[in-house]
Amino acid sequence: MSVNWQNMSFRDRREALQGYLSISPWVIGFLLFTLGPVLVSVYFSLTQWTITSPAEWVGLHNYIRMFTNDPLFWQALKVTGNFVLISVPLKLIFGVALSLLLNLKVRGMNVYRTIFYIPAVISGVAVSLMWIWLLQPDTGVINTLLALVGIKGPGWFWDPQWALFSVALMSVWSVGGSAIIYLAGLQNIPPHLYEAARIDGAGAWQRFWRITIPLLTPTLFFQLLVEMIESFKVFTQAFVITKGGPLKATYFYLFYFYEEAFQNFNMGYASALAVVLMVIIMTATIILNHTSKHWVYYAAEREEAK
Amino acid sequence: MTKKIRNFSYVLLIVMVLFSACAGKQATTVAPVEEATQETAAETAEAPAAEPTDAPEVQEPVTIEWWTVNSEEYTEQVQRDMAAAFEATHPNIKVNITVLPGDGFSEKMTTALGAGEGAPDVAFFWDSNWFPEALDLRPFIERDNFDTSMYIDGFWKTRSLWGDVVVGLPLGVGAQFVLYNKDVFDEMGVAYPSADWTTEEYLAIAAQLHDSDQGRWGSDRPRRPFRALWFNYGPVVRLYSEDSMTVEGYLNSPESVTAYEWAWDLVDTGATPTPADIEVLGTEGTGPVDLFMAGRLAMATLNQGHMLNALDAGVNFGIVPEPKVAGNEGFVNAWSLTSSIWKGTEHPDEAWAFLSWWAGPEGQRYLMENGNLFPSISAVLNEYEGADEEYAQAFFKVLELTQVSEWRNAHPCNSTVLRAVGDVWDKIMFGEIERDQIKAELDAIVPAAQDALDECRERLGG
Amino acid sequence: MTSTEIKTPFLSNQTRRWLGQGLTYFIMTTLALLFMIPLMWMLSTALKGRWEIMAWPPQWIPTTMHWENFAEAFSRYPLGRFMLNSGFLVIANIVGQLLAVPLIAYGFARLRFPGKNILFVIVLGTMMIPGHVKLIPLYTLYHRLGMIDTYWPLILPAFFGNPFFIFLMVQYMKTIPRDLDEAAYIDGAGTWTILYKIILPLCKPPLTIIIVYTFLWTWNEFLHPLIYLNTFDSFPIQLGLSMFKGRYSVEWNLFMAATLVSILPILILYFLVQRQLIGGIASVGLKG
Repeated sequence: MSVNWQNMSFRDRREALQGYLSISPWVIGFLLFTLGPVLVSVYFSLTQWTITSPAEWVGLHNYIRMFTNDPLFWQALKVTGNFVLISVPLKLIFGVALSLLLNLKVRGMNVYRTIFYIPAVISGVAVSLMWIWLLQPDTGVINTLLALVGIKGPGWFWDPQWALFSVALMSVWSVGGSAIIYLAGLQNIPPHLYEAARIDGAGAWQRFWRITIPLLTPTLFFQLLVEMIESFKVFTQAFVITKGGPLKATYFYLFYFYEEAFQNFNMGYASALAVVLMVIIMTATIILNHTSKHWVYYAAEREEAK
Repeated sequence: MTKKIRNFSYVLLIVMVLFSACAGKQATTVAPVEEATQETAAETAEAPAAEPTDAPEVQEPVTIEWWTVNSEEYTEQVQRDMAAAFEATHPNIKVNITVLPGDGFSEKMTTALGAGEGAPDVAFFWDSNWFPEALDLRPFIERDNFDTSMYIDGFWKTRSLWGDVVVGLPLGVGAQFVLYNKDVFDEMGVAYPSADWTTEEYLAIAAQLHDSDQGRWGSDRPRRPFRALWFNYGPVVRLYSEDSMTVEGYLNSPESVTAYEWAWDLVDTGATPTPADIEVLGTEGTGPVDLFMAGRLAMATLNQGHMLNALDAGVNFGIVPEPKVAGNEGFVNAWSLTSSIWKGTEHPDEAWAFLSWWAGPEGQRYLMENGNLFPSISAVLNEYEGADEEYAQAFFKVLELTQVSEWRNAHPCNSTVLRAVGDVWDKIMFGEIERDQIKAELDAIVPAAQDALDECRERLGG
Repeated sequence: MTSTEIKTPFLSNQTRRWLGQGLTYFIMTTLALLFMIPLMWMLSTALKGRWEIMAWPPQWIPTTMHWENFAEAFSRYPLGRFMLNSGFLVIANIVGQLLAVPLIAYGFARLRFPGKNILFVIVLGTMMIPGHVKLIPLYTLYHRLGMIDTYWPLILPAFFGNPFFIFLMVQYMKTIPRDLDEAAYIDGAGTWTILYKIILPLCKPPLTIIIVYTFLWTWNEFLHPLIYLNTFDSFPIQLGLSMFKGRYSVEWNLFMAATLVSILPILILYFLVQRQLIGGIASVGLKG
């Protein structure tokens, strides 16, 4: 889109002006609420700042320490990366599966849809508390149920091997929220496509893979992005349940950030941590967006390509 | 067609609700949402008409901002009433009260102090990292001949003095001690513990009182390596040297190893809940109070707030200080809340007038009589209605012990260093290492702890 | 329920249809029960006495039902008012997003202007900045604007569009065939007419997502109201709920009772409007 202002026609110029006008709310919001704070964070990341004393310029010191001499940074990065890799696919699969169930045409589906939506509306602390109770290794409901079928349940939050998975399991419980989004996507698939496929002799499985999934890809893509970013942001569970343990198995990145910023008052270093996280997520997002060209189905672009 | 109308009416409804709410913000109708703006407007304009003290010849009252927390000792309502009582006797000052949930106060304060603006005139400065932002009270104390000797000495020293500076006044007192369930002791035929019991006796009693059939444990377990651990359960240990230079020889000293071995022995008795058991409902940093009240812990290290809970729950309980290593002095982990004036205040005189009233005899007495505060002023504390009761006497005895927190303000790096110790602690709690491995484990984390200390010391400017 | 009358073609045989429905109900009910276990525990806790929660052996059904816990929770703090406050914030945020997002997205999706691609990459990049990171600079900003202890800091950003939603909307608008715009343009429609008369009516699915997420995020927001609000009566529900946590212990029964009540408005609203939310989309889809 290398357009030269001088060479543009009247119509193009008017369109460009309208374009700027239409995105102007975002530009203003960006300048006010995002760019400013981000620049401030970047500045503080180059300083040593304990909040109560003036910030002292230290150049790249914080970054150098982070990458060369801070095992906690690498641990937090590893834990968070693993969590993203575990929880995002889990949530995508369960979310789509649930939405397929909720899409079935049976009487009373409204009630089921509401029931599955409930977990999504209960916020952080209450949810965390419930799960501590449910996953208690000896008396918790889950292990009691497992014992009935002869399985000895693991120690969940209190076993370094299982702690991270337990947090991921918690987040699966609230997939009702994203299932609704998938459901909206499913309902938006034109029924005539299925009819046409059926006439062509496609089975249910084929229809799912050839029609449902491709037409759901825009929704899937958006959810993938949301879930990924939400997973990078995971914090409350570590804060309420595990305190980053046991043996730092749930030492999430934001938990480390929080400890540094609000408990150790190491604001300069915390800002550097934040800047690195921003860069990581930005990179991941942009890469994901690039891959989308290959697997996300956009009707309009197809037509343009013709 | 009908669908269109329906959709349109939805939109109309939303817009109407929004606009009515917005209008509420400008006008002064009784809508829940407009309260906030009304209050801020009151700051700049004159006092709201509801104020009874608004006499015409009195000069315009000065409004000061006061941030506090909701607590069992002083509920939201009690503090609101207290502020009104203050305003009644001080017509030239209006106190704008903000009552926050306890778990958000620190974040809000840190944000405002970090921003350097919009912080309250008067508030708890309960984190020693905030002290540089507190106004030095010495000029006011001198000017008014404010008697600081009325405060219990230990709390004045640990919570008000910061170097030479007086950073605040201590409000209320609290302490950790062992609550024990007398009914369980009676049932098992075990004698009640004495005030000078030892860590060895503690382990023995815990094992005796344990009864898994009733879902009852002998004692709780420390959930993190708290300061008190090194004082009472190992013979007076420091994490690092007095000059904050060295970890080696402190963190892994024989005394420190003793403290960890005690924790290992406690886990080994099997008489204490596993981390998984104790986390249930203990997640909000409140300790295993619910387990104790349900009679499922024979002994638990709790505090004065829980003591009030136990009274409320009708538990037959007793109080003793935490046990100590035989032959050593006993310590107490005790606290008071530093109540301070922000350095950036525009109304220091009015702020002082309120602070010295609130954290002085009048305010603390008000909070004791109308709430559940244990005042930090001996003379007022002695007026406590249950002062003669056995539990109060035992509690007052605990308060007389030397405080471990004297160590705290001089060593702001201890939380950073403790983080390095966390893994060894976890391994002991999960029974993953043998007793004779403790020393080697502690030796192994010394370099990481030293790094943490060096980094912290450098950051805080040596 | 008209949906059951719609002929579901792959079930031609009456018995198979009956069996299929039975199986569906079985699976759905089992799953629903599993999903409900945590809620049952919440309810059970909400109905217990203050110190019965950890009683041994664990009780699912309290010996005495303390229904008065609900009344007690409401008399302790003005929870109704807190919920109204949250409701106001939710509506204001939804309106803000609905006004801003389609407009912004339209610019990115349809209009050509220099620098568009780089700006869109910035939108992507800013989709996530941890809330805690911006706290101190934003507090300074709002304080200078005189907006501390007002709802503005909690509402204003919505009117500038959430990057998540902008991205979503751009993606969606790209799926709408351009022929529609062109046809309208030839008929003499201007840019804005095309947006509001042609494009937007086709955008119900992303608008639904925006509403659902804005509702959830705003209702469950704790950190920002905590930082920006001082006046007790202006608190939203999440701040109100955490008032049940004292410094030394938590009144779990009241906390759970209040939490349960706090989710009721969302559920009722959701139950009532889900046909509009989900069903309405399908009708649009038919045209495509």
